[in-house]
Amino acid sequence: MRLNRDVYVGIFLLLICAVFINATFEIKAPLFGQMSSALWPRIILVSLTLLSILFLIRSLRLEKPEWEQKGSLKNWFRYYKNPIYCFGLFFLFLASLPYLGMLLAGVTFVFLMLSMLGGWAPKKLLLHASVAILFVGMMWSIFTFVLGVILPQGEIFLYM
Amino acid sequence: MIIENVLAASSELFTITTMMLMIAGVVAGLFAGAIPGFTMAMAVVLVLPFTFSMTPVQGLATMIGVYVGGLSGGLMSGILTGIPGTPSSIATTFDGFPMARSGRPGLALGIGVWSSFFGGTLSAIILILAGPQLARIGLEFQPWDFFALVVFALTVTASLAGDNMLKGLIAGLIGLLIATVGTDVIFGYPRFNFGTDALIQGFSFLPVLIGLFAFSRLLSDIRMPDAANRKLGDENTKAVAIEHRAAAIAVLKRWVNLVRSSMIGIFVGLLPAAGSTISNILAYDQAKKASKTPEEFGKGSIDGVIAPEAANNATAGGTLIVMMALGIPGDIITVVMLGALLIHDVIPSPSFIADEPVIAYSIFISFFLANFMMLFLQSFTLKGFLMVTKVRMYMLASIILFYCAVGVFALNNVAFDLWTLFIFGILGYVMRALNFPIVPIVLGAVLGQVAEQNLSQALAITTDLTPFFTRPWSLFFVILAVFSCLYPLYQKHKGAKRWADFYLPVFLAAIVPALALMDGWIRPTIGGVLLLTALILLVQRIRKNAPVHSASR
Repeated sequence: MRLNRDVYVGIFLLLICAVFINATFEIKAPLFGQMSSALWPRIILVSLTLLSILFLIRSLRLEKPEWEQKGSLKNWFRYYKNPIYCFGLFFLFLASLPYLGMLLAGVTFVFLMLSMLGGWAPKKLLLHASVAILFVGMMWSIFTFVLGVILPQGEIFLYM
Repeated sequence: MIIENVLAASSELFTITTMMLMIAGVVAGLFAGAIPGFTMAMAVVLVLPFTFSMTPVQGLATMIGVYVGGLSGGLMSGILTGIPGTPSSIATTFDGFPMARSGRPGLALGIGVWSSFFGGTLSAIILILAGPQLARIGLEFQPWDFFALVVFALTVTASLAGDNMLKGLIAGLIGLLIATVGTDVIFGYPRFNFGTDALIQGFSFLPVLIGLFAFSRLLSDIRMPDAANRKLGDENTKAVAIEHRAAAIAVLKRWVNLVRSSMIGIFVGLLPAAGSTISNILAYDQAKKASKTPEEFGKGSIDGVIAPEAANNATAGGTLIVMMALGIPGDIITVVMLGALLIHDVIPSPSFIADEPVIAYSIFISFFLANFMMLFLQSFTLKGFLMVTKVRMYMLASIILFYCAVGVFALNNVAFDLWTLFIFGILGYVMRALNFPIVPIVLGAVLGQVAEQNLSQALAITTDLTPFFTRPWSLFFVILAVFSCLYPLYQKHKGAKRWADFYLPVFLAAIVPALALMDGWIRPTIGGVLLLTALILLVQRIRKNAPVHSASR
């Protein structure tokens, strides 16, 4: 048995299938002789389970790629550094949205993302701040005033 | 009736606001198509939130503008920099770039623009003529047929993943599973909400789509620090004047190639999930095979530019025909258009053209019109494109990510949609990183409810499963689904294993029973012709193989 990335994916898929198959037993049964609400998900899940088993078997036969053998957690983090930072920043943006509102949270998010990806040199910071204020402000204005969308205002502005 | 519908649609379409919106859409599409790494599909996805406050006609006309602009925009960067702006312009670079480098960039651009225009216009005419006819065929469809069509759409999408067919099928099933989360479409019972109230309504379609497609794509583009800091285009690219007159004459002189390539484009567009990425390469290959001077291909051949550009624009007509006639999206762009229709409470189905003639004919006319707009606006956007190429990728990605969030929030004014975007952004990114194709997940998520509704209706009529194999259309799609599953194997073993020689004749013979069962005389006759073709091919292949095997013995 050779453990490689696809083997973990196959096992993960099977676990997901198990959780969802178990959850289908909690779906309410219909009152009359119609198709059960659980039937269609079960058809999907049984097919997915079978394909996942096939995928797992195929993955076990594969050799572990060289780049995977050399991989360490540190290398992995370095490889996916940018997306991880972006997801982290987006998470913070969403978490701060109820408090800061779309405009302020948006400017902060775009500024931090630009600087994280583009660098922290003073000249660049100025550029990033201008881009963030200009574009976020523009989009916020279009959605608020032109399209009439009520974007989150933010709790801190409610007390002002 | 047709004239009434055209007039009614025209009165809604030919307003200053709608025309301005269409022009803005075409310009946005041209830019999006021209920027390498920023696909037109992403542009159509991102334009969608702006259409919420528009009327359905305005919204769809704008999106069609983006679609047509995006298909043509890719040729700018492809010809001037050698880097195709979109996958649909890959083959354009084969001859367009050498032609530009040999001192004829204006002519190369002109040929690309005019080929796109003629291809798109031809496709628009076919759309107008064939759409209502195909919709009539669609009215023959019963629940079994629709269910089989969805299965075929998913298998053919998965089969395009090539060696990763298994991953494609798994991705399609994951998409179907995503569509089951929330309230069941038949009885309204909650499913897979795992005790949370937020999941009772299920996932909104657009946050899922934008997360899986746009969000994950942007993060893939900026993964490498070098790529994130790179400018969007080549700084040395210079503005050139498009040689319209010479190009139009050159294209019209090669009308056989133009018509053939457009037809290939339309045909590929009719196939679920195939799209312009495939049609441009297929048309290029056919043009080269049919050419009297194939050795000139790759060195700046005019036919080498005409074929891919005519084909990729013509594909749009094919995909729109299927979406409008059957209510089944063929590619990611028509998935978004379907979403736009659903937002405005318009449900595409075989009766769509009859039920919503104004919207349907607006789509026809706007597609036709967008091609003219593209022709006119291409020269202006060329200068803008050169300016946009100076922007760095990370700047574009950061701004678009924020825009995705605002656009998704604007859909329902629900914060949960933003978390949906985030979760599916991660899912899409991880799946891309693990080499799972994204399109099957998106199609599965969109078609899941259609499949379930039709399966439920079929089982309500009878619990007998034989209609799936005895009804002509259902049988037709089941056979296509089976052969599409075998297609990657055929591709792999073609020319190497003997059985692969018989794939095509067996496939043709297999669909004959379904065609023979259909009403009227045209389709059974087509079935007869296919059977004859299959027999001829079979005999040819047997003869071809016979001496090889006797010699090896």
